[in-house]
Amino acid sequence: MDERGRGKFCRGGAVIGAIESRELFTLDGQNVRLQGTYHRPRNGAAGSSAGTRVHNPIGVLFLNSLFLPRTATGDSAVYWAESFAARGYPAFRMDLPGLGDSDAPLNTALLDFINAGGYGSIASAKIKELVDRFGLSGVVIVGHCAGAVTAIFAAAASKECKGVILLDPYFYLPQQMKKSKAWKRLVRWAATSIVGGALSKIYDWLKNIRLALGGSRPPGNANFALLRRWSEVANKGLPTLLFKAPGRKSTGTKPRVGEFDYIKHIQTIAARKSQVTVQVIDNTDHSFANGAGRTAVREHVERWLRDCFPFSESIESETITEASLVESNKIDYENQAQCL
Amino acid sequence: MEQAYYFEVPGAHLYTVLHSVTDPVARVLLVGPFASERQNSYGPWVRWARYLAERHIEVLRYDYRGIGESTGDFAEMSFADWHEDVLLLTEWMSRRFPAVPLLLHGLEIGAILAGKAFHAGIGDALLLWSPPTNANAALRTTLLRWMGLLQLLRYSEERKTASDCIRELEQGLSIEVEGYQWSPKLWRDSFNFELPPAMNNEEASMQKYRRPVKSIILAANAAPLAKKGIVGGGDEIRDLSWLYSDNFEWMNGAVASFVGGGQ
Repeated sequence: MDERGRGKFCRGGAVIGAIESRELFTLDGQNVRLQGTYHRPRNGAAGSSAGTRVHNPIGVLFLNSLFLPRTATGDSAVYWAESFAARGYPAFRMDLPGLGDSDAPLNTALLDFINAGGYGSIASAKIKELVDRFGLSGVVIVGHCAGAVTAIFAAAASKECKGVILLDPYFYLPQQMKKSKAWKRLVRWAATSIVGGALSKIYDWLKNIRLALGGSRPPGNANFALLRRWSEVANKGLPTLLFKAPGRKSTGTKPRVGEFDYIKHIQTIAARKSQVTVQVIDNTDHSFANGAGRTAVREHVERWLRDCFPFSESIESETITEASLVESNKIDYENQAQCL
Repeated sequence: MEQAYYFEVPGAHLYTVLHSVTDPVARVLLVGPFASERQNSYGPWVRWARYLAERHIEVLRYDYRGIGESTGDFAEMSFADWHEDVLLLTEWMSRRFPAVPLLLHGLEIGAILAGKAFHAGIGDALLLWSPPTNANAALRTTLLRWMGLLQLLRYSEERKTASDCIRELEQGLSIEVEGYQWSPKLWRDSFNFELPPAMNNEEASMQKYRRPVKSIILAANAAPLAKKGIVGGGDEIRDLSWLYSDNFEWMNGAVASFVGGGQ
């Protein structure tokens, strides 16, 4: 294996570990083998001059959202990674242990494991490995939903993390809200009938009264460990971009009536050294995978990257064309057995 | 050993993962779930590949052109492209260990793709999981499940029904389903993309092809490999070893019949 784990190269075939814009990589440190995809930054992309390479650039790293493979819903992570690479930022998508193509026993209580920060330390260790391997100055971690929980835990533990992008994060413990089948049926009924909708509104207002009596403190099912890590991340002054998708019965960053306003709460926690930007994306859903969602996320992130992590570039003496790199990675089918 | 590669096809690169084994008793091409079904059932599909590899069956799994890690624009792809993917990959597999039996295994639309390749004379045995009669039947169930999920996420005035979406497709408009752009052409072509008729019946298949064929309809207990209601309910980590072991046993029998009768 070469230093980037592409495999030993043989010429003349069509099975390859890298193509013009992407490269497959594995991270093997600590006896944990993770599979990932590297989206090469384009030379001459916006923010960098043609023929130049950025020294020790900032990478953008996508983590899995719950059980989803590293492509994410509708391959939205692939789309974003390609886009950021086209803007000059190396982008990486990595499967955490047990997810996607990374082998390891999968925790059967996956959500509980993630919410307790179970992936935080390994993600942090692998970020260091990634930074060393690809000569990065650091990474911006991108996490969606449960992936955002891991992103916060990893950001708190990682010296190499220079920024965080969170897509629809949650700061409570959903497993404490597990309901019976009858309850789920009731929720479905309330969501699809007029009478159910009216009763649901009354229920929300009753919850709101209870919430108001509790003051500004988070409710009992808050993920306090996560909020503590959030506080650490915010106090490091890490630039953070948070996206919120429209929720049912909610507008803007405000939650549904009767639900605790975590967005306001985490902004309050982060107030002193705050570099937190909250962005609401309309006409999308929780996955941000539809056309409106993926375009809006891409545009906001590109602007945010340019503002927070502008290029400081210099011309490298080493000039490797993408085509020559692809050529060097070709592996002959028939000789594969001998090659590997 | 498990190794990911890109495989060149016309105009794109397929993401492939080869689960190579020493002295394989058989090889199998897994023709997996289509488009958004991929993300929902990725874990159990990968675990199935590993299960087989641990039992000396070499496995190649891959992402369809324009889907997942493979390159290409999904909206521009056709069933003909995805059929070609199967042909090119089986050609490559046949060259790797020509003497070792090659099995094709497809799930849902993947079952149609595998079935069509088998019908064309490729492979020594065929395993079909939940093959629909045509690709349109599979697209419809995906659409219904997706619209059901949106019902819960959106206000009533923003909601579209599956019938609305089908009407749009029939009027020549594209629709988005879980992040994938379904073109009117995809929808039109799906009606004619069918499982070869003999494969609707195992006995008829055996008579016609004289090679082992097994077809099973996965029940809800095989979710998320079987479509069921709304995804994300913990099905992704469900233990499916009962399904794996039954089907591995069948593969073993198919390989034995090949070794016994095909030499």
